Amino acid sequence: MKFLGLIVKNIGRNAIRSILTALGTMMLVFVVTLVWAILAFLNVALSEKNANFKAIITERWQIPSQMPYTYASTLCEGAATKPDDVRPMDSMTWQFYGGSIEKDRAKRGMNNVLFAFSLEPIKLLTMMDDLDNLPSATAAVFGKSVKALQDNRQGIILGRTRMETLKKKIGDTFTIYSMNYKDIDLEVTLVGEFPEGRYNNSAAINRDYLLAAMDAYQQKNGKPHAMANKSLNLVWLKVPDSATLGKITAQIESSPLFSNPQVKCETASSGIAAFIEPYRDLIWGMRYLLAPAILVTLSLVISNSISISVRERRSELAVLKVLGFRPNQILTLVLGEAILIGALSGLISSCLTYGIVNFPPPYGFGGIKFPIAFFAAFSIPLAALWWGPALGAGTALVGSFVPAWGARSVKVSEVFSRVG
Amino acid sequence: MQFSTAENAPTFPTVWRHKKVVKTSAPREQQFSNMATRNVHPIVRVNGIHKYFKRGSEKVDVLNDLTVSVPEGEFLGLMGPSGSGKTTLLNLIAGLDRPSSGEVWVGDNLISQMSESQLSAWRTRSIGFIFQFYHLLPVLSAYENVELPLLLLPLSKSQRREQVTTALDLVGLKDRMWHRPGQLSGGQQQRVGIARAIVTDPQLIVADEPTGDLDAKSAGEILNLLEEVRKILNKTIIMVTHDPRAAERADRVLHLDKGRLIEDIVKATTGSV
Ligand SMILES: Nc1ncnc2c1ncn2[C@@H]1O[C@H](COP(=O)(O)OP(=O)(O)OP(=O)(O)O)[C@@H](O)[C@H]1O
Ligand SMILES: [Mg+2]
Repeated sequence: MKFLGLIVKNIGRNAIRSILTALGTMMLVFVVTLVWAILAFLNVALSEKNANFKAIITERWQIPSQMPYTYASTLCEGAATKPDDVRPMDSMTWQFYGGSIEKDRAKRGMNNVLFAFSLEPIKLLTMMDDLDNLPSATAAVFGKSVKALQDNRQGIILGRTRMETLKKKIGDTFTIYSMNYKDIDLEVTLVGEFPEGRYNNSAAINRDYLLAAMDAYQQKNGKPHAMANKSLNLVWLKVPDSATLGKITAQIESSPLFSNPQVKCETASSGIAAFIEPYRDLIWGMRYLLAPAILVTLSLVISNSISISVRERRSELAVLKVLGFRPNQILTLVLGEAILIGALSGLISSCLTYGIVNFPPPYGFGGIKFPIAFFAAFSIPLAALWWGPALGAGTALVGSFVPAWGARSVKVSEVFSRVG
Repeated sequence: MQFSTAENAPTFPTVWRHKKVVKTSAPREQQFSNMATRNVHPIVRVNGIHKYFKRGSEKVDVLNDLTVSVPEGEFLGLMGPSGSGKTTLLNLIAGLDRPSSGEVWVGDNLISQMSESQLSAWRTRSIGFIFQFYHLLPVLSAYENVELPLLLLPLSKSQRREQVTTALDLVGLKDRMWHRPGQLSGGQQQRVGIARAIVTDPQLIVADEPTGDLDAKSAGEILNLLEEVRKILNKTIIMVTHDPRAAERADRVLHLDKGRLIEDIVKATTGSV
C-alpha cells in the first residue's frame, strides 16, 4: 500500500471537487439507505414465520375494529364448538383504553395522556411480540410486574419513557380520565414497568378492571355504556402452522355467532399486505425504478468527476508510466481514488442516517413513523452501516471504470511528442 | 557545485543492483579511472530503425533507416529542426515506443522486442528521464517526487529514504526537500527532475530539451549538473536540445533532419568514435 499516500494526495488536489463529489455521494447513499431500509422492513413484515405464528381477528368491514365483548370467549377458542374442531394454542384480547392523567380537557397533551392495552395480564408473557422471548434476567423482573398486575386488578404497567413523561414512579396511585370510554375514569396504581425496548411508550391494564367499571356504570345509570357493545378491538390467536390457521379461519368465518358485525381472521403479514395493497405500485417503483435510478445517478456523478480529474492529469499519468508504473498500477491509482471517496462518503452518510433516524430525540427522530398496521415506527437496520460504504465503493468502481481505463491506456509517446 | 572530485562524490547504496538484468561490462572503479575504455562498449545501439506514424489512412515517416551507437559514459547531444524526429528517437531508445522496424539495444537488452510490461519494469531500473517541463507531480513534495520511481522497486522505507536524500543532496536541494514544485523556481524544479532521474541509479539518462524552459543562468547550472552526473556517477546521457550552448557541453552532437542523420560532430577533446 505504498500508493495509498499518492491516492490520498490526489484526492486532496482539488478539494472542492472531491468534497462536492463526496456530498453528492452522501446525499444519494442517504436516499438509497432510506429506501432500502423501508423495503427491508416490508420484507420482514411480509414474510410469514412458518411456525407458531399469530393471527389477528378484527371487525371485517370497519377500521378501527370494534367488536362486542361477547365475541371474546368464542373467538379465543377459534370458534371451536364440536370436539373435532381445531383450537388455537393461545389467545389474547385487546381493548384500547385511552385517557389522560389531567382532568381538565384543555390541559391535555402529549405529556399527560396514555394509551393502554386492556388485557388479561398473564398474556403479556406469552402473546406479546418480543416479550415472549426476553433474556431470563429481564423475564424474571417483568414476570414480577405481570404478577403484580394480576394480583391487583387496579394496577397498571407502564413503559419507561411514558413513566418519565407522566412523572410517575412505582407505587403511585393516580386517576386516568378516559378519552374513548366516556365517564369511565380509572383509578390505577403503578405496579410495574415494561422492559426497555419497543414498549417504552406503552401501558397495560387488567381487563377485569375495565369490564367491572363498565358493569358499575350500567348499574349506576340503568343502561349499558355506549361502548359496551364495541369494546373488543382485537383478538390474537397463536397457531402452530398455516394448515391450522386455515381451519380456524374457516370455523370463524362460517360461524353464525359473528354475523353482526362480521369478523375476519388474518395473519400479521397478510394484514400488512392488505394494508399496503394500495401502495403496491409505489413500492414497486421504489424497488425497481427509484433505487436503481439513484445508483445510476451516483455512478454518473462519480464517473463525471473522475473523468475530469483524469483529463486534467493526462500528462501526470503519462509521467508515471514513463517512470515505470504499469498500466494496471495506473488503473489501481485512479480506481483507488474513486473507491476511497465513495466508500468514505458512503460510510459517513450511512452512519449519519443511522444515527439521525434511530437515536431518540433530541439527537434524532427515534425511528420513522410509518403507519402500517401495528408498527409504530421503523428504524434503519444496523446492516446499513456496511451497505453505505459498499454502495459508495461499488458505484464508484462502476462509475470510475471507464475513465480509469482511459488513464490506463494513456500513450506516453503521444503525450510527450505533443508537449515536447 | 559541491562535488568537485570523484573522492567525495556520493555513491548510491544500490541495494537492488544484484537483481538487475543488465550487467555492466567493467568494474565501476575502472570506468571511473579509465574513461577511454567506454568507447569499446556501446551502451546504446540503434540498428537501421524505421518509424512511421499513421495519421488517418496516411503513413508519416518520421525516422528513416537510422543507425546510432552511443558508448558507455558518453554525453550525447541531439539537434535538429522541429519535427525532425528527435523526441521520437529518444522515445525509442528509452523504451517508451517501439520502432516500426529495426533493432534498439540498450546494454544487453533488445528493447525493441520487449512487451509493454517488460519495458515498464526495465525503464524503472535502467532509464532516467528529464523533461523540458519538469513534469513533477504538483501534489507531491520534492522528496516524494524523487521517491516515486523507487516505489516500484522492492525497497524498504529506510532504503528509499537513503536513496532519495543522496539524490537530492547531489542536486543541492536537500534543504528544499519538503517544498512542493509550486514553491520552487524553474531551475530548482529541473534539479528535482534530475534527482528523480538518477535516484534509481540507471545506466542511461535521457533528457528532452532540459533547458528549453529556463533562463540562461539556470540553464547553465542545469548543464553543469548534468556534466557532473555524467562525470561523478559515470552515467551515459542523451540530450535533445535546440540550444547551441547546451550542445557545446556534449561530447558529440548528432544532427537530425527529416528523420535522417546528417552530421556527426565529434569534439577533438573527447577522442574519436
Ligand atoms: N504519436 C504521434 N502520432 C503522430 N505523429 C507523431 C507522433 N509523434 C510524433 N509525430 C510526428 O513525428 C514528427 C517528429 O516528431 P518529434 O516530436 O520527434 O519531433 P522533434 O524533433 O522532437 O520536434 P521538436 O523539436 O518540435 O520537439 C512530427 O512531424 C510529429 O508530428
Ligand atoms: Mg521534441
